[in-house]
Amino acid sequence: MIKILAIFLLLPSCIYSQSKSINFHSIQNKKLFADHLFCEGDYLRAVEEYEAIRKTIKNDTIDFKILLCYSELGLYQQAEQNVSLSSNSDLSSEFNKLFYINQFKKDQYSFYSFYELRDYQFTIKKFSTLNIFHKLTSMSYLYTDLNSRTKEEIVKPFDVKDRSTISSFYDWKLDPPYKSPALAGILSAIIPGSGKMYVGEWGDGITALLVTGLLAFLAYDNFRANHDTRAWIFTGLGAFFYGGNIYGSVVSAQIFNARINFEFKDGLNLFLEQKNYFMPEYDFCN
Amino acid sequence: MISVTKICFNIILLAGIACNLRAQISSEEQFNYAKNFFDKEKYFDAVTEFKRLLFFDETDQYNFAANKFIGLSYKQGGKFSDAVYHFTLAEKNTGTAHELFETRIEIIKVNIIRRSTGRAFILLDSLQSDETFINKIDEINYWRGWAFIFADDWESASTSFQSIAPDHELKVFADSINNNFYNETFAKVLSIFIPGAGQFYTGEYVSGLISLSWNVLWGYLTIKAFVDDRVFDGFMIGSLLWWRFYTGNLQNAEKFALEKNLEITNDALYYLKNSYTGPKP
Repeated sequence: MIKILAIFLLLPSCIYSQSKSINFHSIQNKKLFADHLFCEGDYLRAVEEYEAIRKTIKNDTIDFKILLCYSELGLYQQAEQNVSLSSNSDLSSEFNKLFYINQFKKDQYSFYSFYELRDYQFTIKKFSTLNIFHKLTSMSYLYTDLNSRTKEEIVKPFDVKDRSTISSFYDWKLDPPYKSPALAGILSAIIPGSGKMYVGEWGDGITALLVTGLLAFLAYDNFRANHDTRAWIFTGLGAFFYGGNIYGSVVSAQIFNARINFEFKDGLNLFLEQKNYFMPEYDFCN
Repeated sequence: MISVTKICFNIILLAGIACNLRAQISSEEQFNYAKNFFDKEKYFDAVTEFKRLLFFDETDQYNFAANKFIGLSYKQGGKFSDAVYHFTLAEKNTGTAHELFETRIEIIKVNIIRRSTGRAFILLDSLQSDETFINKIDEINYWRGWAFIFADDWESASTSFQSIAPDHELKVFADSINNNFYNETFAKVLSIFIPGAGQFYTGEYVSGLISLSWNVLWGYLTIKAFVDDRVFDGFMIGSLLWWRFYTGNLQNAEKFALEKNLEITNDALYYLKNSYTGPKP
């Protein structure tokens, strides 16, 4: 009788507290809140909430979202640790896709070594995962060194509509439109300003030719008229401009080549960003 | 005699209810919990807990306060876009004119800090034209003054502070800074008439002397060449050397004035940040 009375008396207070209060930090609510933060794009807080509940709720979707959060935050070390947890998951191929993408982002210049050293899981049978891997490997060759890869090898993993873009990247990589700094220097040594013109800086080239030519003429004319002091001043100035014109041409060619490299990498970056690093679209928020 | 079973039952029952009651907290408690983080300057945790409150609280009664504190926390963390976003959410949930004013001022302050002063002026104008805030005109002018400071327009800043009080502390300060500025056009004009004089004006005496010397040398050689009827020499020295050093002298005078003014502005902002005790953005 006392037991029934106790339950009868305490039950309303319990119900009352449920109606007015919320357990903000219960496991289920933490998960709901984490999902909300994830969809809001607040990955830093989302991952903190997911990490807090992952030991209690064994769920490979949560593990995958943690991996996605770390990837979005660029915390590749932490992301990598989560991949190893997924070996028995149904989502293991998705984990692997993200692992490759993260690895590529982390160290894009050596990603192809995964392929060459056979340092990846060849047990993966899923075509889509391997396809992403091979696309990233091709991109890595384009970023670093072609290592004797043929155009067919590089282009093969890509969709038909992207192949022409990749093919043009390959051609650029194989034969970049560089200008020779040595040739620019030699040309300017023979005809002042011609090295600049060779690099495409026509205005600078013509200016260098005129200034150096004028100073040389002034030096010659003053020597002829026996104005030795002025003649030597113009000789010094002429020599200074002549040397500067050679040095300037060499530097211009180097800058030109650096710009070619920059534009090439910029093009690759743009292509990768447009393709979102070949990451599949995950729909967790609708 | 009470049996062991009964004691156990009662203990379990009470402990269960106690645990349940302890875990369940009201929205007010959650708000205070989050606010506590804010007060302790743990802004990351404060944002998390305020967001948690907003997510679970179905009454919407904390939409204003929680978003305001999230905005303030983001502002403290330098995440100005996020701050403005949450202040805007807070603005949409204001209940009183005072809250609306307070939130808009916060948005203006963030715009001042991140130097999007154009946006700050637009918001200040809209507040000023709103008759609801007719009694807040001093505060509007105060923040307008700050916006002018961050827009590097100290003269207008002085005018804004003066409209609050003729001897307003910041008005006096803005005037003193404005008086310390070098006039870039004046520096250039001085150098037009006497090469190097603009540099002297900005306190760069060595640079002024060097500039003057080069111009005297090449000017002398140019004039001498023309006097000696060596017209070609005169033309070449004049155009390739004298003109180059003369224009360089003008550019230098302007550059030094700009650099000095930037130093003055930076020192002034440093003072305001560290030593001024009044409200700051």
